[in-house]
Amino acid sequence: MIRVRGLSKEFATFENGSGGVLALSNIDFEVRDNEFITVIGPSGCGKTTLLRIIAGLIPYDQGEVTIDGRPVTGPGPERAVVFQNFALMPWADVLTNVTFGLDIRGTPKDECQAKARELIKQVGLEGFEKRLPKELSGGMQQRVGLARALAVNPQILLMDEPFGALDEQTRRLLQEQLLRLWEQERKTVVFITHSMDEAVMLGDRVTLMTPRPGRVKEIIDVPLKRPRLRDVEMSSLFLEVKEYLWENLRAMQVE
Amino acid sequence: MKNGAVRDWGLRLLVFAVVVGLWEIFVGYSQNFLLPRFTEMASGLFHLLFRDHRFWEALYVSNQALLLGYAVSLLVGIPLGLAAGRLRWMDRIVNPYVGVLLAMPVAPLIPIVIIALGLGLSSRVFIVVLFAFVFITVNTRAGVRNVEPSLIEMAKSFGASEAQIWRRIVLPSAMPAIFAGMRIGLGRSITGMVMVELLLVASGLGRLLLEFSGRMQSDLVFATVLAVIIEAIALLTAMQAIERRIAGWAPDISIG
Repeated sequence: MIRVRGLSKEFATFENGSGGVLALSNIDFEVRDNEFITVIGPSGCGKTTLLRIIAGLIPYDQGEVTIDGRPVTGPGPERAVVFQNFALMPWADVLTNVTFGLDIRGTPKDECQAKARELIKQVGLEGFEKRLPKELSGGMQQRVGLARALAVNPQILLMDEPFGALDEQTRRLLQEQLLRLWEQERKTVVFITHSMDEAVMLGDRVTLMTPRPGRVKEIIDVPLKRPRLRDVEMSSLFLEVKEYLWENLRAMQVE
Repeated sequence: MKNGAVRDWGLRLLVFAVVVGLWEIFVGYSQNFLLPRFTEMASGLFHLLFRDHRFWEALYVSNQALLLGYAVSLLVGIPLGLAAGRLRWMDRIVNPYVGVLLAMPVAPLIPIVIIALGLGLSSRVFIVVLFAFVFITVNTRAGVRNVEPSLIEMAKSFGASEAQIWRRIVLPSAMPAIFAGMRIGLGRSITGMVMVELLLVASGLGRLLLEFSGRMQSDLVFATVLAVIIEAIALLTAMQAIERRIAGWAPDISIG
């Protein structure tokens, strides 16, 4: 379980630390095991900062962040991150990119390769093992990013607007694929997004954040049945939750 | 050979033929009897390469300074650039001096170096280093600084150590820029080598050039210059071949 209590984070504006922008203020939220939670809020609400803090990539000023009771002091083997801009090594082929995490953690080479090939297959990139990232479409690149994160078999998957850079059709295909993979093995997922459809479609709960300084405004249950197929988008429940999100987000929007 | 390669070589030869043709016409019209025709230059080159043992000795002597100086430039320039690129305090120390060295003409320093180090090999090596290393440093530093921050973050998220980040992310990312620096550095080294030999320490190819021009053997002067150019092209081509193997994934970039 991920537990965040009273979390605040201020970014220094100047190098000497004077002055600062309060990015997150007194955040409280919990993610249960095997839960898929989405986080949505207006741009600049610090949702990515929150994810990076849970990932252990940046320090925080106040409050506590724990995973299964242990405080987060840095990255850990139980977590893996999927990045918005894919963060693939442009000089390395798909296979090498997918083995990266395993390799860093000292997994024997054969095992790395076997595991990576299995995941490449699962995300539907079989036959592309020797391709460089630049030879792949955006959607395929992010599938490499997803395979790389899943390869280290994390309990927790932290996804930072992973489909934000993709076009609508590709984004939908990847959402469906992610849901299929998640149904097979339910990991704990924290998924940052700025798309209301995506937030409702994927999440068991949607965390709604306020603009700077970011706070948790509300956590909304999404009681849609699983597995979710595209038809849930037509359901009144889906539209209701989405409408509720929109009302709130619209009220926050400062022109 | 691919079609594109054939076409490229065709174009290159065409440019060469045009330049040589213009040269021949220019010399034909000019009244300057000291200007050698291209054909004379070519036969001068043939003479140097196959008839004149002094050329090979001179080449050997010059290349000592070149290769030693270039090696030292790499050994100093690359680590300095790497350190300045990743460590902020190091950059604060190094960067002003790098700026000075980039802006400062090196040739006027040659007499000072010779006063300090004498007329031997060490001054020549030192001057080659002065000519070359700063360009290698600047490019290497730029390469390290331009490493995509999200790649470093990605590596950290998997628990990579600083050493692993260097080996797996920073060095491969910076490789194209390092190669660009090495290429520019090589060109500068050759310039430095010839410059010092011509200006003060008469040795190697520079000495040969001075001798030939003293005796008005302009075809041999031109032929020697041609030989230097050929060597430079050969070295750069070899380097590009290595570069394509190691850093072929990246688009071409360079600063200098």
